[in-house]
Amino acid sequence: MLAKGHLHPAVLLLRLITALRQNAFPLIIGITVEEWFLVIAAVLFVMQLGYSVARYLTLEYTLTDEELRIREGLLHRQDRRIPLDRIQDLGFESTILRRALGLAVVMVETASGRGVEARLDALSRVDAEHLREVLLAARPASASTASTSAASASTGDVSTILSPQTQEPDVEWMIHQSSTSELLIRGATDMRLGAFAVTGYAAFELADQLGVVTQITPIATSFRSWIESLPPLVVLGVLAGLLFAVMAFGVITSTLGNLVQFHAFNLRLRGDVLQRRFGLLTTRQKTLPRARVQRVTIEQSWLRRLLGYAVVKADSAGGSRGDGQDTAGGWDVVIPMTRTHEAHALLPAMLPGVEREAFAWQPGSPKLIARTAIQGVLLAILATAASWWQLGPAALWSALLIPLWTVLGVLTWRNLGWSRGEAFFALQHGIIGKNFACVPTAKVQAVVVRQGVVGQLFGLADLTVYVAGGSPTRIPDLTIHDARTLQHELTVRAAAAAAADW
Amino acid sequence: MTSAESLHPPNRLAPRVVPYWIIGDGLTSIVVAALAWWPGRDYLADHWQQWSPLWDNILLGLCAGMLALALLVPPLNYVRWRYGFVGDMLLMRYGILFVEERAVPVRRMQHVDLSRGPIERLFGLATLVVFTAGNEGSAFRVPGLPAQLAKELRDRIVQMRGDGRL
Repeated sequence: MLAKGHLHPAVLLLRLITALRQNAFPLIIGITVEEWFLVIAAVLFVMQLGYSVARYLTLEYTLTDEELRIREGLLHRQDRRIPLDRIQDLGFESTILRRALGLAVVMVETASGRGVEARLDALSRVDAEHLREVLLAARPASASTASTSAASASTGDVSTILSPQTQEPDVEWMIHQSSTSELLIRGATDMRLGAFAVTGYAAFELADQLGVVTQITPIATSFRSWIESLPPLVVLGVLAGLLFAVMAFGVITSTLGNLVQFHAFNLRLRGDVLQRRFGLLTTRQKTLPRARVQRVTIEQSWLRRLLGYAVVKADSAGGSRGDGQDTAGGWDVVIPMTRTHEAHALLPAMLPGVEREAFAWQPGSPKLIARTAIQGVLLAILATAASWWQLGPAALWSALLIPLWTVLGVLTWRNLGWSRGEAFFALQHGIIGKNFACVPTAKVQAVVVRQGVVGQLFGLADLTVYVAGGSPTRIPDLTIHDARTLQHELTVRAAAAAAADW
Repeated sequence: MTSAESLHPPNRLAPRVVPYWIIGDGLTSIVVAALAWWPGRDYLADHWQQWSPLWDNILLGLCAGMLALALLVPPLNYVRWRYGFVGDMLLMRYGILFVEERAVPVRRMQHVDLSRGPIERLFGLATLVVFTAGNEGSAFRVPGLPAQLAKELRDRIVQMRGDGRL
């Protein structure tokens, strides 16, 4: 038995606040309109509180050499046992309120693909740190054997490349620390709707934590009636102004949102485990064992490419980018923003051994340009045919689609490149932005070659590489021969790695 | 092994998968086409002012097209489908318009399922479904296997994973 404990008593205070907040509405109605709502509020309140107290009293976690065991429940009992070598990640999160009370939520992730497997809400920070220390100390036996066997799976000298335990487990290496200017750039170049989502999420989080319930409906209605009373030209001006204001607002809020979300971001390496800490309002701390990294991507939107900055993200087994929670919380981000060359220089910290890889970049097939051009022609014909009976000869303007698509094809081809090294496999693609992805071949689960109609005519194929986490990596427009060769090489390596895993 | 050639999966599906596909998948479109022609056409001709022989022909063409697809796609699919074990890999190759070639190392399979629908059972067929780790695109299906063979394949996969040899 290495550690044993309960939730922190201050959790009851948190639950009390939640219960009060949830019952605020019936309470207000009870006071102002109908008195019997008070009874409902009281019953609900007592039930919620009772449930929380029961949960608090019954929840107990035990950490042994082999497993983390969490027992809880009075009527509905639950006994969860998680083997230590199945634990992928241990994350901490604490909102303002929890931080004020010295608490942290502990999240245990396994490779089940469901993300968070168990949630301890909440432990005292001391207990949480202790749990992590003990867990990290207990794990290397299992985790590192897994990684060495994965390494020796690939041929020869690869085992020396991937051996992570050469480093002292107690020394912490600071890999990256985000400066304010980097975060400012991240915010200002966050030109997607996602920016609104991030800020919206941050704002919602804040409002939620402070318990603010805003009532803006009457303001919106009065605004609409005011707009309807204006002449059209003024309305246009107002709309243009609004559009500009919204865009400016978007940039400002996304900047603020990113500053808040990734405040004081730092990435450290301790032994074989990467650790991220960040956040102003809600602080997050997440560990990511390097042996679990399935893929690392360096992403540049066109604006960031112009400025020479990039985001580094990592997929781990079990974590899924598809989950809104993951992306909104910034869980998959390893480095929120850094200079492009620095991002590439930092790759070995996440994928040990990649520094010995000499990537010989191969271009995609130039036929890809012809393929996109033909798509453009087909689209132009369709668009012309569809709009002819309404527009007449003016419909021929859709012929402009052809050069446009050709240019797209040229751009795509120029940015496309792939490379297969000894133990890694890399890809870069983009149209005006640029994305780089690197996958350890030992992590490959399956490889699919796909040919569409035009692909069959031109002898082109797409190659999709599946790993255990995140979305699949797809290389478009290889020649069918290259695709098949690559498929064969990758799967042979993957099978060898899997054989060594056993 | 020369790389590109060794990835050709050797086996075909059971030929009776063709009638199964026609009945299982094609039946819906056959029924839809028939319904569109018989009560559908009469109803439209009676109630829609602009009904003309041109529309008759268009509808007839559509129905004929659907029928032809329902009858033609399964045999074509059968001709294109190949699967098989090469070394310790399960290979699949299929598709008419979109051709897919899939390769899954047996060691990477997390679990194996056999699924048999009601019509599938009538034909004595089964679908082998293998899953790899991960959440996106982690299921690989081989349809139209004789039930006995499917069971053998499943046992073989389990055995290969167990002792590491074929």
